Amino acid sequence: MAQQGLVGSIMKKGIIGIIIGVILVVVAKLTGFPFVFQVMFFSYAMLGALVFILLDAPTMNRLEGPKAAIGLVVFYIVLSVIFTAGASGLPQYDPEVEKGKIDKLLKARKARTQKGKADELIARAKALDERAIAIDKKLNSLGGGNIEVVEEVVPAASGAGGDIVALGKEQWELQECYNCHKLGGEGGKKRGPVMDNIGSLMTPEQLKEKILDPKSWMAEGFDKQYKKGKMPDKYKDLMFDEEIDALVAYLATLKNTSVETPKPIKMN
Amino acid sequence: MKILSRSLLMLAGLVVAGASSAYGQMPDAPVVDFPYAGNRTGVWVVAQLHILFAAFILGAPIFAVVSEWLGYKNNDPKYDRLAKEVTKVTVILYSMTALTGGLFIFVLLGTYPDFTTWLIKHFFLVFAVIYPLLFIAETIILYTYFYSWDSMKGSKKARHIALGVLLNLVGTLTLFVIDGPTAFMNTPAKAAEGMSLVEFVQTAGLWDKVANYSWMPLNLHRLVGNVTFGGFIAGLIAAYMYMRSRTDEERAYYDWMGFIGNLIGVGALLLLPFMGYLLAYELCDYDASICPYMMADQLSMFFEMQGAMIGLIFLASNYYIWLSMKRIQGVEQVRISGLVMIAVIVMPAVMGLAWKMFPPPEWQSLIYLAALVILPPVLSKLPGLKFTVSAFTMIKVGFLMIVVADAIWMTPHGFVATQGAATHDLELPEWAQELALMPAKNAAAFTLVYLTIVNYILYNRGIRVGSISWGKIDFASQFVLIFLAFSAIWTMGLMGTVRSLTRKYFHVYNLVPDFTAEAFTPTLAYSAWWITGCTVVFFTVVSFAIMVTLRITKDKAPEAQGVPVPEGAK
Repeated sequence: MAQQGLVGSIMKKGIIGIIIGVILVVVAKLTGFPFVFQVMFFSYAMLGALVFILLDAPTMNRLEGPKAAIGLVVFYIVLSVIFTAGASGLPQYDPEVEKGKIDKLLKARKARTQKGKADELIARAKALDERAIAIDKKLNSLGGGNIEVVEEVVPAASGAGGDIVALGKEQWELQECYNCHKLGGEGGKKRGPVMDNIGSLMTPEQLKEKILDPKSWMAEGFDKQYKKGKMPDKYKDLMFDEEIDALVAYLATLKNTSVETPKPIKMN
Repeated sequence: MKILSRSLLMLAGLVVAGASSAYGQMPDAPVVDFPYAGNRTGVWVVAQLHILFAAFILGAPIFAVVSEWLGYKNNDPKYDRLAKEVTKVTVILYSMTALTGGLFIFVLLGTYPDFTTWLIKHFFLVFAVIYPLLFIAETIILYTYFYSWDSMKGSKKARHIALGVLLNLVGTLTLFVIDGPTAFMNTPAKAAEGMSLVEFVQTAGLWDKVANYSWMPLNLHRLVGNVTFGGFIAGLIAAYMYMRSRTDEERAYYDWMGFIGNLIGVGALLLLPFMGYLLAYELCDYDASICPYMMADQLSMFFEMQGAMIGLIFLASNYYIWLSMKRIQGVEQVRISGLVMIAVIVMPAVMGLAWKMFPPPEWQSLIYLAALVILPPVLSKLPGLKFTVSAFTMIKVGFLMIVVADAIWMTPHGFVATQGAATHDLELPEWAQELALMPAKNAAAFTLVYLTIVNYILYNRGIRVGSISWGKIDFASQFVLIFLAFSAIWTMGLMGTVRSLTRKYFHVYNLVPDFTAEAFTPTLAYSAWWITGCTVVFFTVVSFAIMVTLRITKDKAPEAQGVPVPEGAK
């Protein structure tokens, strides 16, 4: 009897869940929600149905001895699989994207540390050692004849190669300024002002002052954010002088007058 | 030219040979590579296991002493037995905490020697003096507390409870002390005016480094988390023992224990979202760029998963209340004002709007909250507004609203791992963007908390008008208790991962970069595997400890040891 009751309950509530789910999907579609959100709303309708099935489910029989032990192990396996699969089913950030960024950010810093210098010296010494051995072998095999020696290629300090504005644009990306500032219609969530015309509104010196001391300037209409200190005051510690100069050089080129950019106000 | 090149190369070779032999005279230990997982994950797993055991030995005594006090106050030996059983498991697991703690230090020193040494030097007094002394004190008090249980009965019971309180004070102090360096790694002290952060940290005193932005929020978050942990673990113990019980008396006792464990676990859980919010608020206040990293960038889907877990935990804890109510005879008579039901239904919308108009820390939104909570019971006294609904109807509507609140909590701005990858097909429509913002999330959290409180009020009314049949609860409830413990610990692992990852590619945020190849944000899937692994290992050890420890209790028949409280105790 209880089994029949459960099956009936599953059928009834399952159908109600599907009907509500379909209604939600239709409403979501009509109001402009993308497909992925429509699926989410449908899933919630089915979760609701499952909850109501559980609420009215018949009492579970007691498990004892080995049955209880097996039940427990199976339950743990099911939980582990559901939690892991649930997390794996969500969109995943590709670490390779971040690895490239971190490499660029930390390369110069590592090179300036004692360990970085030592590591670099050791690496060069090892490379030279290997080349000397290789040349020695080659010389012996050729009986001291002429060989081609490949000049050592020293990697450039930065992939952007010397162009200060390009370097500054790279800093904009690496320091993730786009998280708060909109530029070219991309990024920013109203935490900071749009930057498209900032080069017309501030001199390079003023831009540098703002980066080093965020309290020195405030964007018009951003009083709340200014008072809360939303612009981090960490860049003076995190960035090298040449990186700040590059970022300033890049910002100074942003002179798109067609995009309304909040007016900077000198604060102290 | 070739002769010159060759000569230079040979000269270089000689220099290298000289340098190599000089280097060889001061040999360094080989670099440690943690097998299979890599160094970062190795440290993560060991640290996570240590934190889980530490949370147990800090959370369980809070639960135990409260239970012991309740037994003393109500002259009820059940509470005393509960407290003793939980403490017994704690004593067994204490050694695991010390073991994993030692392992953590060894692994850290082996894999990140430079950074570990740097951190120890900055917190030398903490690591070498204060923390060990507190740990020793806690060890002595814990063992004294447990082994004096039987000898300090009757008139000495109050002193025994005081010893338990002292144990918790020392435990809490230990937690606060070790949270100093942990919080420092997330939010190192802010530099004084005109100084760089590096200069400031080099000259700052110990207190300046300990009392950083996230220290107190982390303390509070972990303290409340530990109480939740203690409650749910007590529920787990009760579930295991209920399954093993052979007599009705034993089943009645462990059914009751499960209920108390869940009550305390859920009670503390209600505060946890707000403690977490406080911690996140302070992190964002320290550096606003942490916020988008957490909510809109690499960690956004970690929070999506957290939303799912919190939703499941609230669903399960309320389902347990539902199952508990079903075994109360006469519960059908319990009714509640229909206005409360209406308040529950409108709460997500009203509070979402209130927080939109008055975001924290502005206080005006609390007026709306107070109105929603206080007005229904007050207005229901007025003629014409006295309509009521049954407890079961209220709870069913409540479950519907839990699903709605879960949906709001879990609605992201876009189904993407980072907002940078968002496209029109994956984002909320413009008009519905508010659903993804903090006011909506806060409203969902408050709805979940309010509903749970209403359900407990209904349960209390149920036991006042009806009679409860302990030991007769639906067997499924035991799996609900196990689910709650497993999910709470899994979520703890997830949020611990998030807290660590907010340091980004730094060992100490903005101060000590992690130059290793593993200094990136792992994927949520990768993290979930390891979090599940840690949870399973922890559960295996705890299950073993429960099975071994409490079997002995049963054999010793604790009832024969006399009444644990003095006559006339209140």
